[in-house]
Amino acid sequence: MRLAPPLVSGILLGVALVLPRDAHPQAPAPAGTWALTNARIETVTKGRIEKGTIVIRDGIIQAVGANVSPPGDARVVDLAGRTVYPGFIDLTSSMGIPTPAQPQAGPGGGGGGGGQNAGAPARNVGLEPGRVIANEVAPAAADIRASRDAGITTALVAPSRGAFRGLSALIPMRDDSSAQYVVKAPVGMHMGFQGVAGRYPATLLGVIAYERQELYDAQRHGLLMDRYKAGERGVPRPAYDANLDALVPVVRGQLPAFFGASNENEIRRAVDIAKEFDLKLTIVGATEAFRALDAVKTARPLVVSVEFPQAVEVTGWAYRGAQRRELNDSATRDAAVRKIVEANAGTLHRAGVKFALAPGALKPNDFMANVHKAIAAGLPREVAVEALTIRAAEIAGVGNKLGSIEPGKIADLVVADGPPLGDSTRIRTVFVDGIDYDVIPSASGRNGQRAAGSGGRGGETAQVAGTWIMTVNGPQGAMTSTMTLTQTADAIDGNMISEFGTAAISEGRVNGRTVTWSASFQMGGERTTVNFEADVDGARMTGRLRAGEMGTMTFTAEKKP
Amino acid sequence: MNTREGWGMRDVGKLREPGTGNRERVSFRAQRGTALVPVESPRSGSLRSLAALGMTLLLGASPAFAQAGNPQRPAAATGAPNAQQAPPLDLTAVSLPIPPAGKLVAITNATIMTASNGTIEKGTIVIRDGKIAAVGADVPVPAGAKIIDGTGKYVTPGIIDAHSHSAAEAINEGTLSITSMVRIEDVLRQDGISLYRQLAGGTTTLNILHGSANTIGGQNAVVKLRYGLPVDSLKFEGAPPGIKFALGENVRQTNRNLQPGQQGRFPRTRMGVEDLLRDAFTRAQEYRRDWQQYDAKKKAAKTAAERAALIPPARDLELDALVEVLEGKRLVHCHSYRADEILMMLRVAKDFGFRVATFQHVLEGYKIADELAKAGSGASTFADEWAYKMEAWDAIPYNAALMAERGVVVTINSDSDERARRLYQEAAKAMHYGGASEQEALKMITLNAAKQLGIDKRVGSIDVGKDADLAIFTAHPFAPNARVDMTLIDGRVFFDRATSPTLEQLIEQMKQRKPHVASEDR
Repeated sequence: MRLAPPLVSGILLGVALVLPRDAHPQAPAPAGTWALTNARIETVTKGRIEKGTIVIRDGIIQAVGANVSPPGDARVVDLAGRTVYPGFIDLTSSMGIPTPAQPQAGPGGGGGGGGQNAGAPARNVGLEPGRVIANEVAPAAADIRASRDAGITTALVAPSRGAFRGLSALIPMRDDSSAQYVVKAPVGMHMGFQGVAGRYPATLLGVIAYERQELYDAQRHGLLMDRYKAGERGVPRPAYDANLDALVPVVRGQLPAFFGASNENEIRRAVDIAKEFDLKLTIVGATEAFRALDAVKTARPLVVSVEFPQAVEVTGWAYRGAQRRELNDSATRDAAVRKIVEANAGTLHRAGVKFALAPGALKPNDFMANVHKAIAAGLPREVAVEALTIRAAEIAGVGNKLGSIEPGKIADLVVADGPPLGDSTRIRTVFVDGIDYDVIPSASGRNGQRAAGSGGRGGETAQVAGTWIMTVNGPQGAMTSTMTLTQTADAIDGNMISEFGTAAISEGRVNGRTVTWSASFQMGGERTTVNFEADVDGARMTGRLRAGEMGTMTFTAEKKP
Repeated sequence: MNTREGWGMRDVGKLREPGTGNRERVSFRAQRGTALVPVESPRSGSLRSLAALGMTLLLGASPAFAQAGNPQRPAAATGAPNAQQAPPLDLTAVSLPIPPAGKLVAITNATIMTASNGTIEKGTIVIRDGKIAAVGADVPVPAGAKIIDGTGKYVTPGIIDAHSHSAAEAINEGTLSITSMVRIEDVLRQDGISLYRQLAGGTTTLNILHGSANTIGGQNAVVKLRYGLPVDSLKFEGAPPGIKFALGENVRQTNRNLQPGQQGRFPRTRMGVEDLLRDAFTRAQEYRRDWQQYDAKKKAAKTAAERAALIPPARDLELDALVEVLEGKRLVHCHSYRADEILMMLRVAKDFGFRVATFQHVLEGYKIADELAKAGSGASTFADEWAYKMEAWDAIPYNAALMAERGVVVTINSDSDERARRLYQEAAKAMHYGGASEQEALKMITLNAAKQLGIDKRVGSIDVGKDADLAIFTAHPFAPNARVDMTLIDGRVFFDRATSPTLEQLIEQMKQRKPHVASEDR
């Protein structure tokens, strides 16, 4: 389904309008005025409207209701049979964060000297409370698109490891420079229990002691800065310290601490630290929160990861090693126990604990698949939807801007052919800041309109002939295959070589920048026809495939030069 | 010997990681130029899953939410389309049997080895609200008491392991040599199956120490093995704080291989160890002086404004702990082997005015027993471990008995998850080798350990008023065929060989999702 209206000029009018965004001085890209009519609207906070209209103007929801009339300048889209719900918010993203260079190896064990803390790397990765993620984040287009295709419209970005990871940024999943349109920054100080290899603090012991010392230092730093700023003469000037500056609002309870804590003991440790320093604690991960209900019941809402532990088949010493991973007890690696962890969210809900759901390190598609597992394990579906929308927005401190379909909120919407998190729901279009992005392009070509739409993509037929290296995000991780294509006008032919053997391509078509084809593979004793659909952007394609019973997966491909 | 590839501390990076084994001992068995050789490892898949499930059940065992019999099955979700909810898994019902708090319990007709006042034949112990209310041969059984028939059984105080590395998720923060700011209490874990095995060996209290990678390793934790309760419940409330020191080969790390990004670490010799100690305590003295001056100024300030204008010194967690040592508020437990390094430590302690509470391992302690006794330092040693590295060359199995003879408070410790479940056999060796008396040998794993840890008013012997931490044996604890029948902590039965579920039973229970109903207190 394509929402672009007949009047392309309507979009151009929007250029002059400035959206009310608090974080950026420039005028954002045009979004225009839309009226989405006859839609089934899941507002999340105000119930369901069976047949209603949503008016979007300049990226903001202007009106919602059963009896709302489309304004005269709006592009009116009839969404009969479609459901519109708020975009999901991913609170555990680390997309687009550059990895600073690791420190070099020290001199090989030379004699006596050095003393403590001898030498220091240029950058204390993972020990940087003053790291401002909003200044660094530069997500890849494919990551943005993969999130959006799963119905995610906003992501809270912070490094996923470290004791002090920095100040996170909430960014929209739009193609044009997401970082530029930060929704909120900083959202919180992101903390965790990971040390730094080879130097203090390397272990859990050191990390907690380090955090404690740093927080005491921040308390004192705040006191000294206050005195200095009070302007009296003769007050000594405190040393400038960006890291302590960043921690002062944290120890004063003004900025929440997003603390990565997955298993029971990690959760209790985070709660203890928060109590000691009176932090505004948000536990992130909380995979075993059901085992620490007493501790989390009184805490602020949790960010519950659905990154369930993977089974490992190891023995001997490696088995012991497995016990030390993030979910530290090997128990979670037992199939029966993994099932238990899937029921975590449902148990929390029944215990009256408020939470958002988050992917952890999962890719967007796997995220959604695991949300479904949590639902199957007892989490009511509507609670899951809330957890992905309004709860997440509240935790990020933007409950008045995101997370539901209400007038005045940012127009981050998902248009789908079924209810949110429905078993067979397919997402058709996603609005981010009122900009429409197709997820499943319509069969009938509207390439010209598409080109004139938000992304500014060209209208000519893509040229795909050549050799492509394709990476499929499968359930067991990434699978790589090689694809060789030939093209005659809008027809393509060729073959694919993968771990399932060589398969000929059939029904290959190029439609503007969209390319579709099928191939048949022998998988697990059965011949399965896989349907591919991809968006071509020069030498890169991103898309999804449907493989019968195995379901839908995303993929990317790069053309060999 | 190649100093880079020897069989020393190659694995410090691994030492600090949690596991269930004996970390320090494992380190000594690292082979030249290879990865670690595990001392013991689970062999079969079934064993793995047994241990795994045992741990899980433990993790789910908080009584705060163990709502047996209240399965809380909500109605299927309403409103949402496609809502075909499976019956939710009730995680709160999966729980280990947590013994109810002890009310009134009497152990009757047992041989009671008190560790303080000899052995009582056919005696009775009355436990009221977790404390020993009466003990003796002619003690009447109060009405309404749950009776534990001790006929033919031996009762000892709960065993105290004076040197353990169990129940901690990290042991060595080996990146600096002075890490007095790190705390075992921060990294406690309650989910190791070895804790249950130790409980099944009559062990009730552990002194969990840091490893020996650092000159000052960090703040230790004394815990009771209240197995099955959340981790906070392990802590021995009111136990004096302590700190682990270490001397010798492990600290100087002669053979350590550096990881990428890691710097070579001071000290490299025993001289350096002493220098580091003196430097650290000199800094602590200066730090204490800064705070004393600040406190004095604050006291002298006449107005609130004057007080507010004072800027306190920056708090330093590393030095805070050392100031507590200087002020005698924190017990020093010092890993040591050789007589010369022990004497060095005693000189440093004397110069800075503190007492070393215990020397750990102290394998050459028999050579300087009088000096140890004079300094008031306890000794916690192995029963019969020797010659496993250069600095252990002069160790002898008579060490414990010889030191005790000269008036040193001696304990025999495990330093091992494995030995910790049969410390009573280790204690028997002091009788076998050194001719210690039965009670003296028993004290080496009970009352003496309590004294060394400053908890002897609470535990360590079977005396009226003490915590009812007891082990009930099927035979004389020093006999080879003795097994622990029952272990009580605070009067609660935390292990009972007759009724405690096996791991197989626990697995079945969990698969069927049946809530476990806690058995009646006895």
